[in-house]
Amino acid sequence: MREKKIYVLAILGTILMVATMYDILVVMPDEAQQGAIGKMLLVHVPAAFAAFTFYGVAVWNSIKFLIKKDFHADSLAVSNIEVAQVFTLINLVTGSLWGHIIWGIWWTWDFRLTSQFMCFMLYLGYLLMRPAVADATQRATMSAILAILAVADIPLVFFAIRLRDARMQHPSPVLETGKMDPSWWTPFLLMWLVYLLIGGALIMLRLRQETVRREMDSLRRELHAM
Amino acid sequence: MKRDLLAALFIARKDLRTEFRTKEALNAAVSFALVVLVLFSFAFDLERSELYDISGGLLWIIYLFAGSLIVNRSFTREVPNDCLDVLVASPVPAWALFLGKAISSFTLLMVVELVSLPFYGLFNNIIWMKTFWPHFGLMLLATWGITVTGVAFSAVTVNVRLRELMLPVLHYPLLIPLLIGAMEMSTALLRGDAVDNGPNLRLIVVFDAIFTSLSLYLIEFILVT
Amino acid sequence: MEANELYFFYGYSAAWIIVLAYVFMLVRRGRRIDSELTRLKSLVEDRER
Repeated sequence: MREKKIYVLAILGTILMVATMYDILVVMPDEAQQGAIGKMLLVHVPAAFAAFTFYGVAVWNSIKFLIKKDFHADSLAVSNIEVAQVFTLINLVTGSLWGHIIWGIWWTWDFRLTSQFMCFMLYLGYLLMRPAVADATQRATMSAILAILAVADIPLVFFAIRLRDARMQHPSPVLETGKMDPSWWTPFLLMWLVYLLIGGALIMLRLRQETVRREMDSLRRELHAM
Repeated sequence: MKRDLLAALFIARKDLRTEFRTKEALNAAVSFALVVLVLFSFAFDLERSELYDISGGLLWIIYLFAGSLIVNRSFTREVPNDCLDVLVASPVPAWALFLGKAISSFTLLMVVELVSLPFYGLFNNIIWMKTFWPHFGLMLLATWGITVTGVAFSAVTVNVRLRELMLPVLHYPLLIPLLIGAMEMSTALLRGDAVDNGPNLRLIVVFDAIFTSLSLYLIEFILVT
Repeated sequence: MEANELYFFYGYSAAWIIVLAYVFMLVRRGRRIDSELTRLKSLVEDRER
């Protein structure tokens, strides 16, 4: 049953992706000021939005675990965070490529890029710490706490760099979504949906692995008891 | 409430007394700070005026590295002989235990920082005495932020394998906003810039407030597992 | 091909390569834990007998 759900999500996601990509690559005209690379925005920003959605779900599940001690919530949290990391990485790499063409630099420590990168680093620590804890309850508790502390930190990073940004010279401003050409909104939202569907399929795959791991833990306990 | 606060102070006093008797961590931290200072002196060959531009950054990196040695130990020193289990089982509430540990680590870290500061000024020819009191205030606020997050992570990583490696990986990224504020403000103070330090100060205070309250609330979950 | 369009192509490719790399990682990990699970199950059955 779950396998079917995964396939449905993946196939829907792929079909929508092909349709949207065709629209973006072939149908849409190049962006007036930036040329072809301007359309990178439609890959770069929806990835960040998808990542934030998944981080949000993960933090919600972390809080749920602390309150209810529900291990399914813990499994959901780690699955969402792993997939969110994938989309954050996409966001960072595509942003860097876009920046290279537009600004002539591979990287800059402006508030958007830095906060995304710090988000990636914080949750990388989360993923690195999990295998290092042997006991399942402790692992879930530590992870939940880390997730909450990390999410509290992200807005602070954002404001800290933004404070500094005000005084420093930075490349010309990033295209704000508010200033985006209205005809771009449909492909933008569709790409976000594509990422959500594919991300959803990946999360379910990962979730299945967490369930198997828990079964393995209980089998090991049983073996140990025998 | 008053009894719990007294318990926190009692725990702080216990930790400080043990540390001041042996001075292991203090000596190690101060030595480490000096070694890092020397390394940085060789790493950068800068004119005196240029050195002032990186003064704040340099200072807080030294404090951070030295501070890790102190802060990492706060909960892990209780692991041998099951002392941590005894503390958790005692009537002292988890937040009071955490507060006591934070206060003792904070005191030790301030000692390390104050001892390293003159050497920092000496090796880099940086005049720190003119703006000492505002700078001291900054040190108090920023060090509290480092301590409170570090002690929380120390509690979190008590049962983690490769604890010494995990703690910096987890702790340092979290401190970025605090360090940005502290480094900028330190540079401004040491350079004698006539700039408004209000925003940076606010950032540090907000960071401290958020993470102190989060840690005090979450420590219950950390310690009871 | 102009650098602009080339990087555009790189960007889109990068996104899907990253997703595929993760899928590959997941599948590999999945196979490993599935085989570990069968091993544990057979061990438990042996002990029970």
